[in-house]
Amino acid sequence: MKASSTKGPKGVSVLLFGDEPLVAEYRRVASSCGYEILSPGETKNLKGAATRASIALELSNVDLAAKKERLVALDKALPETTAILTSSVNVTVLDQSSWVSMRHRLIGIAAFPTLLEKDLVEIAPSVYTLDPAVAVAVRFLGSLKKKAAVVQDRVGMVMPRILCQVINETMFAVQDGTSSPGEIDLAMKLGAGYPLGPLEWGERVGFGQVYATLKALHDDLGEERYRICPLLKEIATTGKFWRDGSK
Amino acid sequence: MPQSIGIVGAGTIGGGIAHLASLARFTVSLYDVNETVILAATSRITAEMKAAADGGKISREEMTEALSRIHARTKLSELAHCEIVIEAVLEDLKIKRDLFRRLDGEVKPETLLATTSSTIPVTSIAAGLKKPERVVGLHFFPPVHRTRLAEVVRGLQSSEDSTSRGREFVERLGKTSVTTKDSPGYVVHRVVSLFYGEALRVLGEGIATAGDIDRIVKDSGGFSAGPFESMDLEGIDAGMALAQAIYDQSFQDPRYRPHPILKRMAEAGILGKKSGRGFFIY
Repeated sequence: MKASSTKGPKGVSVLLFGDEPLVAEYRRVASSCGYEILSPGETKNLKGAATRASIALELSNVDLAAKKERLVALDKALPETTAILTSSVNVTVLDQSSWVSMRHRLIGIAAFPTLLEKDLVEIAPSVYTLDPAVAVAVRFLGSLKKKAAVVQDRVGMVMPRILCQVINETMFAVQDGTSSPGEIDLAMKLGAGYPLGPLEWGERVGFGQVYATLKALHDDLGEERYRICPLLKEIATTGKFWRDGSK
Repeated sequence: MPQSIGIVGAGTIGGGIAHLASLARFTVSLYDVNETVILAATSRITAEMKAAADGGKISREEMTEALSRIHARTKLSELAHCEIVIEAVLEDLKIKRDLFRRLDGEVKPETLLATTSSTIPVTSIAAGLKKPERVVGLHFFPPVHRTRLAEVVRGLQSSEDSTSRGREFVERLGKTSVTTKDSPGYVVHRVVSLFYGEALRVLGEGIATAGDIDRIVKDSGGFSAGPFESMDLEGIDAGMALAQAIYDQSFQDPRYRPHPILKRMAEAGILGKKSGRGFFIY
């Protein structure tokens, strides 16, 4: 199978893998900035695409086994000098480094739904990442008109961790009947100036993504503080959600 | 619809409610034990209304009429005629309970009693009154005359009628009301407490600096303010007290455990913007 591609004016190619809606978000932004997007459907079709790619993005957060498989394949197919930006929201770059042979070119990125809509993106090098790879990541994000904020390589990074905790707490408040889902969202927007209500934000992100990040935080930090609200788990599992009493 | 309200405590919150209620055509009895506090509140309200009139938000006539509806009171018996009495005194359970017991004997049986407490449960304040079902919480956010939300808190014994009267009142003040259960932090403070707490943990673990976390929350998350600048603005001591209250009332649920950074800063007198130094230097 041939790699699908969108030719951009610069003719520079980006190899893109990962979860939806993240891939769609990055494809839209990178395409609009003139990049050619290479999205092979399967890792076995990587070879041709890998020789043309200037940078690779692996944006999976939920299925970490599939993520590992893709990173291993990317590492084998890409020339040694091609940097790989990999989502490190639910697994650190350091842990991902143990999956590949050329760990110096892995840079973590806070790839989390809705966060690419704004001007800044978090990146996290591991202790093995070399400076040129970081520079490539910063230049790439700059070309997408995004600033880069370098943070330490930890599960959840900064914004996904804070956001998921806020959504989890809001779900506990719904579960214990503190107020209705609609009123809680309204209260947080009017009373605390939040750009979105936590529940509508959770819906936009996808509760499966939120659950996966909270589970990763709970597993990594081992604290009761990161216990996942059963209601959130139920919604993430069943895909069902209600607002103001209606299913 | 009630026409006459009483406010006990002429501080920032009490004064702010008096400001809005007088503009909403309520006759306001503003009570405080200290007449100078009432005078200071009315001067503040006058200045705020003048600014609104200068900006064309209200007319001079509206301002004059509204100010004429605010009456200074230094005896609780002078609130006996009020249809709603709102308490806005110190966050101290004993002081509030004593006050509500006195009000219980002074006002009409059908008068709605409300507390503006942000940390003390409405249920605890109403406990032991002859008619605890007439007590609700009205949680306003400072500055009261400019913020858009008020939480209407339903205590364990609050009646449906009292809750809906509370909602009608805050909506007549131009606020959007949200009804909440009488649980620690209600909605806004509870969720914000997690927001601040998580930002403090990210800082404490050395993942990013306070400045970088604020920048990420604003420029990546789209928030209008970062958690650390917000904590500085609200006061580190106030933030610590609120976090501690939610933690204690939830029987030490680890989700609400205050962060040692906040405690150390509060003890050191590094209180945020008001002290010239908090997470940032001012």
